[in-house]
Amino acid sequence: MFSDLILRNSKRSRKENGLFFSSLVISIVAFYLILSLSKQDVMIFLQKMESDAVNKLLLLVPVFYVLTLGILFFLIYFACKYQLQRRRHEFGVYLMMGMEKAKLFSMLLAEDMMSSFLALLIGLPVAVLLSEVISLVTAKTVGMGIIGHQFSLSGSALIFTIAGFLMIKLVAFSILSTKICFREIGSLLGDESEITKKQKPQFVYILSLLGGLFLLAAAYTMAIRGTAWQIPGMMFVTELSGFFGTLLLFYGMRILVQIFSKIRGGRLGVFNFRQLEENVIHQSTTMAVSSLLILAALCCFGAGVGIAGTNAQSDDHVLDYTFDSYDDIPSEKMLPTIQTILAEQELEEQFSALFPMRIGHIRTTEAYEDVFQMDPVMDAIAALPKSYAQDILLNNLSYTDKPYLLSQSDYNTLLELAGKPTLDLAQNEAGVYISADFTDAERTNILNQILSTRPEAELDGAQIFLTGDLQTTNLVTDRTITLSFALILPDEQFRYYTQDQYSVYINGVLSQDKIDQIGLMQAVSQVDDRLDTANLSSKGISYESYLQNMGRSLFYVVAGSYITIYLAIIFMVVANTILGVQFLMSQRKSGRRYQTLVRLGADYSVLRKSGRSQVQWFMGLPVAVAALSSLLGVKAIVGGALAGRIGGSQNAILLVSAAMILLLLVVEYIYITVVKRSSDRYLLTLMQPQREE
Amino acid sequence: MEPILNIENLTKVYGNTQSQTKALNGITFQVMPGEFLGIMGSSGSGKSTLLNCIATVIQPSGGRISIEGKSLAKLGGKELAAYRGKTVGYLFQNFELLDNLTARENILLPTTLHGVSSKESSQRLEQLADYLEITDVLDKFPTQMSGGQRQRVATARALILHPKLILADEPTGALDSRNAKNLMEKLSGLNQEKQATILMVTHDSNAASFCKRILFIQDGDIFHELRRGEESQQDFYQRILQVMAQMGGGSCNVL
Repeated sequence: MFSDLILRNSKRSRKENGLFFSSLVISIVAFYLILSLSKQDVMIFLQKMESDAVNKLLLLVPVFYVLTLGILFFLIYFACKYQLQRRRHEFGVYLMMGMEKAKLFSMLLAEDMMSSFLALLIGLPVAVLLSEVISLVTAKTVGMGIIGHQFSLSGSALIFTIAGFLMIKLVAFSILSTKICFREIGSLLGDESEITKKQKPQFVYILSLLGGLFLLAAAYTMAIRGTAWQIPGMMFVTELSGFFGTLLLFYGMRILVQIFSKIRGGRLGVFNFRQLEENVIHQSTTMAVSSLLILAALCCFGAGVGIAGTNAQSDDHVLDYTFDSYDDIPSEKMLPTIQTILAEQELEEQFSALFPMRIGHIRTTEAYEDVFQMDPVMDAIAALPKSYAQDILLNNLSYTDKPYLLSQSDYNTLLELAGKPTLDLAQNEAGVYISADFTDAERTNILNQILSTRPEAELDGAQIFLTGDLQTTNLVTDRTITLSFALILPDEQFRYYTQDQYSVYINGVLSQDKIDQIGLMQAVSQVDDRLDTANLSSKGISYESYLQNMGRSLFYVVAGSYITIYLAIIFMVVANTILGVQFLMSQRKSGRRYQTLVRLGADYSVLRKSGRSQVQWFMGLPVAVAALSSLLGVKAIVGGALAGRIGGSQNAILLVSAAMILLLLVVEYIYITVVKRSSDRYLLTLMQPQREE
Repeated sequence: MEPILNIENLTKVYGNTQSQTKALNGITFQVMPGEFLGIMGSSGSGKSTLLNCIATVIQPSGGRISIEGKSLAKLGGKELAAYRGKTVGYLFQNFELLDNLTARENILLPTTLHGVSSKESSQRLEQLADYLEITDVLDKFPTQMSGGQRQRVATARALILHPKLILADEPTGALDSRNAKNLMEKLSGLNQEKQATILMVTHDSNAASFCKRILFIQDGDIFHELRRGEESQQDFYQRILQVMAQMGGGSCNVL
């Protein structure tokens, strides 16, 4: 009998508050996702390549776990509180009928545990599945399918998920049900006295609205200009003014609600306004905090996807290995040395190409300044209409007095391997090389137009002509080795100008057959293992594989985007659940009002419209404020905090972020629609006449 | 003269086939224009069910209710909503004012619901507020008013759309005797001066003594009818008490 009651009650709570139950499931998924991070394909792969950095990131996992625990604790506490409050009367009746407090407590606990276990039962499989999907998708998008996938179930993640979830539920529930159990029966049975908040004079709200707007404007100005990121104390001031700005904005928001609802009131305009006003006044802090959470979610998601997107773009993969000497192996002996080593390890077969990349300086003169001049190019750029790209080019190209030199044959080998047209240079001609990181489509376009006129330049007193398209193919595997400006010279000229003193990198390309057979990941690992046994460092040779290099850049992408997107989802769920549950609960509280409206002759369509417009305002206002601020917020993160690191691709990131914010707004729309539906359903039940006692 | 409300053989059965409760057992009566009809009975007698059937809050199991010759059963959707809002005005025992709306907004709520122009309704509002002595609380919220004021605001809301019939469900039930007397005087005044037709359910004999005719209901049947002739209110009150005593303490009720 008692267990029947528990089963029935727990089922009823889930039905009545589906939104809350689904957020329980989502929080379980969130726990598992962060805890199983170390089992993600990308992370397993990175751990091999960049174990230090990955281990540092994984050390952060407990921090995020605790952070998630904290955030979700408040969500659960808050939602449980509403649910228990609604049943106060019922608890009063149980106590009146002589149920012991301990028994009531254990009953509530058992009910709660029922829901918790069901949430775990649904949540855990979903979490495992989702983490697999994320693992596959990140491996596919960032790793371009090179990483082998294996199904992984993280035992420790499972255990900690269950433990963490049950713990916060238990703590939240214990606090709440203890409070209930120690209330007087009379106060449980009686109607809860509505505390009517005092209305303040209109100008208080107007003042708060204006003050909020002012503080927000100040916060964003500081963040976007970068002052907030430069001076330590300023960050605190910025955040504080942003926070209080939002609080004040929502406190004063009723003025706006009033204006808007008077303009397009509909049949229940006044009623809607008063309902909203009640919610906005009583819960302006909740709305403000939810809005801030949504803002945080939008910014994190936008910036995270933005970072991931732009970094994954510029990847044309040609070279698999680069060998480098840090000892004094003579440059011309490098290639034979490497070939010998590979032969010793029986690795020759694995490589389809092995060629040197020589990089040198101008050694025909001792001078450091004005060894190279290309005034016609500079003049041509200066003559262009003013633009951002022009500005950057003028600045970058003013440091080309003594450029690096590359040899035509080496570079042509690289071009052939990349499947690009090779360079054909006459004795007095030179190609121009700029690493991809230092240029973009617009700048490359400008330079190509100028190069097509075959401009004249001066190299150590000799006249040469610059020709061909601008060259940007990476010279070695390591992407962190870049050249801001170099000249590609015919081999003879190269040897003359460098006086045969240059450094050499030996580039290797793995045979395609092998890669097709076992995948790049496996192929590279095999070669790596062999090379490790050869003890290259004792011979003064170091090497870098494509995967190592990719691992490095991938790490920043994955670490940056994974964490931000994760946080975004958590913030989003918490904010929406709080808003949704809050609205539905207060709607139930005012159920009698709707019944009165029915008696006064409101039909279902009128009520439904009223409910929907209230949802729209109540959830839409925080979302709208957040969406507006988020564009500024992403700009602040990208422009202020990451300005140095991302450099030129800022605009691309902003664009991607805007698209992502739009996507997230679609998610918000779905959330709002779900709440609207529940509102409709509830209002429909009110239309059925009930026997009044 | 045509009756405003015509009730024929009205029945209402609660519950399923195994345990049936007959709340109304075939009641028939009429309400004429300008009448002030009281319905009295002990709790469980079926008087609230009767009122709820008329207000279309619940559906009768059998019989016919018609207003000005039009059967309620034939109304649906928009007509039904219009009937609830415009044809009848409902006065609740616990006022049912929306506590987050001011008195003025509460009173004007039916007008916005039924799309009446604000100019016309604000004129009507002034007259009603003046008559019901609530002009100075119009911009207050229900929580800031006394019980009597609240019920008079509710009365104004019930009357704002000139309903053909005012249904009052224990309107004095939540009021102290002074406020109850005040309200009844206002209702009775509306009936006498403005020819408002009122159907009131009550078990307060004092309130009932303001009526012109009283139907006594017991166990779903009309048990007795009283008409107030030229006698004083005090005498009528005494007669009501006699019937009540018969109903409550009469030989038929001794178990």
